Amino acid sequence: MWHIAKREIYNNLNSLRFALATALLLGLMLTNAVVHLREHPERVQRYRERVSGHQNNIAAHAESSLYDLAQEGPGYLYKKPSDLRFCAEGSETFMSDRAQAGYHRWSTDTLKSFWILAYPSATPNRDNVRPDVTKVDWGFIIGYVLSLVALLFTFDSISGERERGTLRLTLSNPIPRHTVLIGKFLGAFISVNIPFILAVLVNLLVISTSSGVHLDAEAWGRLGIIFCVAVLYTCLFLALGMLVSARVQRSAVSLVVLLLVWVVFVVFMPSTLASIAGRSTSSGPTYDFSERSWKLHEELSSDYYSRRYKEPEDSTKGIEIDGAYVTKDAEQQEQLHEERLNRRIAEVHRARTITRISPVTIVQNLIESFAGTGFERHLQFLGNVQIYAREFRTFIVDTDNADPESLHIFGVRTGMSQEPISPEAVPKFEDTLNLSKDFNTAAMELLLLTLFVLVLLSGAYLVFVRVEV
Amino acid sequence: MLKTLIRRELLDNLMTFRFAAVLLITLLLVVVNTVVLTQDYEQRLESYNDSVKRHRQDLRNSKTYSTAYLFIDRAPNPLSIFNVGLDKRLGNYIGIYHGFMPTLWDARMHGTDNPFIAFFSSIDIVFVFEVILSLMGLIFAYDAIAGERERGTLRLILAQPIGRGQILLAKYISAMACLLVPLILSLLFALLLLTRSIPLSTADFLRIAGIVLTSFAYLSLFYLIGLLISVATPRTGTALMLAMFVWGFLILVYPNLIRVTVNPGGDIQARVKTAHNQIQQIIDEYERERQKFLENEGIAGETSEFSKALGFYHQADVNPVTLTTYIENMSVISEIRPDFEKYVPVAKRYYNFVLPLATRTVEKAWRIRKQALDEIYVRQARMDRILLKLSPVGIYDDATQAWAGTDLLGLRDFFEAAQRYRKIIIDYLYAKDAFSSREWFVADKGAVDWSTLPQFTFERSDVRTNAKRALPDMFLLLICNLVLFMAIVLIFIKSEV
Repeated sequence: MWHIAKREIYNNLNSLRFALATALLLGLMLTNAVVHLREHPERVQRYRERVSGHQNNIAAHAESSLYDLAQEGPGYLYKKPSDLRFCAEGSETFMSDRAQAGYHRWSTDTLKSFWILAYPSATPNRDNVRPDVTKVDWGFIIGYVLSLVALLFTFDSISGERERGTLRLTLSNPIPRHTVLIGKFLGAFISVNIPFILAVLVNLLVISTSSGVHLDAEAWGRLGIIFCVAVLYTCLFLALGMLVSARVQRSAVSLVVLLLVWVVFVVFMPSTLASIAGRSTSSGPTYDFSERSWKLHEELSSDYYSRRYKEPEDSTKGIEIDGAYVTKDAEQQEQLHEERLNRRIAEVHRARTITRISPVTIVQNLIESFAGTGFERHLQFLGNVQIYAREFRTFIVDTDNADPESLHIFGVRTGMSQEPISPEAVPKFEDTLNLSKDFNTAAMELLLLTLFVLVLLSGAYLVFVRVEV
Repeated sequence: MLKTLIRRELLDNLMTFRFAAVLLITLLLVVVNTVVLTQDYEQRLESYNDSVKRHRQDLRNSKTYSTAYLFIDRAPNPLSIFNVGLDKRLGNYIGIYHGFMPTLWDARMHGTDNPFIAFFSSIDIVFVFEVILSLMGLIFAYDAIAGERERGTLRLILAQPIGRGQILLAKYISAMACLLVPLILSLLFALLLLTRSIPLSTADFLRIAGIVLTSFAYLSLFYLIGLLISVATPRTGTALMLAMFVWGFLILVYPNLIRVTVNPGGDIQARVKTAHNQIQQIIDEYERERQKFLENEGIAGETSEFSKALGFYHQADVNPVTLTTYIENMSVISEIRPDFEKYVPVAKRYYNFVLPLATRTVEKAWRIRKQALDEIYVRQARMDRILLKLSPVGIYDDATQAWAGTDLLGLRDFFEAAQRYRKIIIDYLYAKDAFSSREWFVADKGAVDWSTLPQFTFERSDVRTNAKRALPDMFLLLICNLVLFMAIVLIFIKSEV
């Protein structure tokens, strides 16, 4: 078996396709590294600046009074950029890199609305007149280029030998057919992975030796997993190549079949399925949302004015009604925003389930989740934001309770503690990435990919065992 | 002799497995995508109609001129099914009023309210052709000469009294005749599906013909690339490998590499800042004149009784990022209190002075903004497009976009029409003396009659303009074809068999 594998590798190493594949992959990976080095330090710098600006903002409100902090809220919360963005761009530009924990809607002579958690959306397309392009990240290189290379290495592995007549020669030796198949598979596997590993090493060398980007131990672990996913994905296409090559008589025909299958599954399936998926979302237009929001607020405020009218200006009862109005309004509006967010997320989840039929989408999703970019990562960020918002509110309540002079009526200046608080005491928002969570979301896709590989491999085996030479 | 050769080649090509496979896959992909895209178009059209209806209703509900909501909508382009270009991407409705210049950069989007959906990439028929036609051309060409050389039949043909150029011509004609079958057939199916639900005009059919012609040139270019490889390499295996890698590079890799290009506009932020300062100065100038007028009338100060009487809302601002400039002068009141009635003549004078001033101010600001935006966004996009043209895909994409009218120029047509419409509206307001009328700020003596307001209409540019825009790229494709063919002939004549 090793004999066969070794012979395959030697054959491949000397071939034109090996040289071309190496050059192509190396060039792409180098470009990827250079672009990353140009963009990433800037991104990290911007994130740091924004976070420190946000801290100053909180400090200013905190030093003013507890009411101001409680009314203004923490302000914008920023998403931490992933160090592994070069692995997967993950449509990050289509997702906002911040959440707005301090969204104001109205103020009257006596009252101000409290902050709510809102989720601004990114619209990079509105002023983008540049041509549409896919970013050259690992996801693209692995998903498209590497899969094509894998097919080009296997399309003639069996049919080519049959044409030349050497297959008969090999099979006339006392070796079982599955050994021949596995040997050939191993040979192709190693010869595809040599250029890929080379390119990956060059890419990582350039990125890790530069001073602007720092990769920690966890990042290396994630890179390892991404590499394994890539290898599994190449196996899929190697197995497909072997299957078709064993079934078809001539290698030219085999290549045509493989190319067409590749074009359908890799190039068109994701876009077509995405078009279908994008269509299936039938969320109402934006104005429905603002209308609903406005209506809720109107109802609440008319109810408030009718009740507030009866109470004297400064009575505790009056302040209580004020407070109830402000807090109830914030609660309602925030719930509305959250409902809309959840509906949008559910739609994207549904759309992504549809696109998962294509292997290239699966592998790109996988790389995204391990690189800490993309939609799942965005959901993690939003989860972190929601946890923090709760924490912040609990902190306000606790601090207010600790002040004996406060009336403990939230929502009104006179009802709350007027004491300044030390900025250090205010909880800080820190966006974190969690690998085990990523692994959970990725497990299903990983299993699906493995299943595809196994089915194709056993298919190739069955076909090859039965085929006449 | 040529005829015999062509016939032989044609039969050879038509009876192969690859022809059947390619035909089947092209038909499948085009039909499936047409169905999906047609439904997508219908949905967008529906959303457009809803939006138009809604905006009409909003306008009818406006009682005064100053609080009027006049919005115009951009209809989806039916030819975006062929090449979507910027049609789906840029905003599709925009407000029209005197203190604001409607531009492509300020348009907003109706339709889906889920911004996440944007990261599912969209597809069009030209994309299908880009991938499939190029692959087809190469698959049919790679063994045209190399294969015959390997089998030894090339010698046999050359022994006949026939020129080498003629052999190449025969091969080219027959292969193109074969390759046109899937192209034409799939297009026919697509049109059949399209016209069932989308009415297309004669001009649209001419535009589609232009797209077909461009597709033909694109297909031929890739066949010639394959033929060049086939002539230059001694063995089919090598030719095939080379062809595949060339394909991967031209279609898959190169178009995505242009992201690496540096922005030619230099420092964007500095550019935006200078433009912002310039526009701010213009607005300050406007504000000074306005204040001077108010002082002369003795009604200065935003909290004065005058503002209260009018329910006054005034805002003049320029966005520091997008440079959007707008001046709003509104009165949000339903009636004028009897003791404020004395302010009515002053208000008429005020609006009559400030509204023409605001109109001129935003027009002045727009000239600066246009220049800045052109330098920031458009020059970058143009640079990308030029670099993209090093791959046939870029040329093909550009030419078909120009035919479909979904390129930047086509979309600008709409926004230029919007700007013209703004002028018409302003002229209409002047003609009705709206600026100095009571209906500008209050509707207590009767609401504004909107029935005579000029309607907005937009016709896509005529076919000749489309053709003019597409012609340079088509010409480029043609030249590439000719140069390649000559190179092939030269190499073939010199090569030993």
